[in-house]
Amino acid sequence: MRSEKFTEELTGITGVDIDAALDPVEADGVYRDSRECAALAIVAGAGAVLLSPPTPRPKKG
Amino acid sequence: MEQSGTSTRLQAAVQDLASGVVSVLRGGDHTRVVLTAGTEGEAGDLALAAVRVLGADAMLPGLLLAIPPDPAEVAAFRKAVEAYPPRADAAPTVRWSHWGMARTLQRIDPSSGPPDEPGAGWLDEAGWQSLTHQLAVLAPLALPGEDCAVSRAAVLRPVDVARGFVRAVRRRDWRQAAGAGRWLTLLPGVPDTLGLESGLNFVELMGGQDPQVALHVQAARLMRTGARL
Repeated sequence: MRSEKFTEELTGITGVDIDAALDPVEADGVYRDSRECAALAIVAGAGAVLLSPPTPRPKKG
Repeated sequence: MEQSGTSTRLQAAVQDLASGVVSVLRGGDHTRVVLTAGTEGEAGDLALAAVRVLGADAMLPGLLLAIPPDPAEVAAFRKAVEAYPPRADAAPTVRWSHWGMARTLQRIDPSSGPPDEPGAGWLDEAGWQSLTHQLAVLAPLALPGEDCAVSRAAVLRPVDVARGFVRAVRRRDWRQAAGAGRWLTLLPGVPDTLGLESGLNFVELMGGQDPQVALHVQAARLMRTGARL
């Protein structure tokens, strides 16, 4: 552990920083706009069924 | 969430290192990527921490392209393994990342003996979304012929990982999508309707400016075309 301690003193990087980088929480999702969905469907070819946007649901009210 | 200056510098160093790996995997001029981690001083120590975070992938070009390992690079890689062992309360991904690095050292030098595997029970209980996230974090373990508890858990759930890949693409989580796609390249039983190759091309198109995304996509591409360890 001595080498880790020495490294911490030089760089300020701790084992906690390393652990945080190696055990990240899942990134927040950002959903595509419809142009990107269309591009994906074209690029994906046979995968278009799975990669296409979800079926629109009727609006309430 | 705002990152501290330390974690920002570490993340930048990891990205630099990943860029070097991608360059070698694409057949670029660089042949040494982890050497600065063996040098003295703050830059060397930051690079050492970056090697620990990038994990086994820091030595991926040597393994996938069958390039004889540079002794100085192996020494720097070993130094990162020894400097940052998992702490007693470390998360499973931290333990498995360290295991992956030790396993890589053993591949390079078989006389060093196989490292003991951490437990993988947490994956058995994981839903498909969490499984995909965890596997993507552990994408450096996705290697041809690797047989460990994590890869065995992945082999049992190709459809779940495929669903997770699609979810990651829809969420624009390119790093998770690339890591999941790298695993899917190796798994039997992946639905043809997924369009994995096209999907990976799209992930690279949209997220490939992130070197860690490019690394996983390039690794997957090499493995799809028959790269073996």
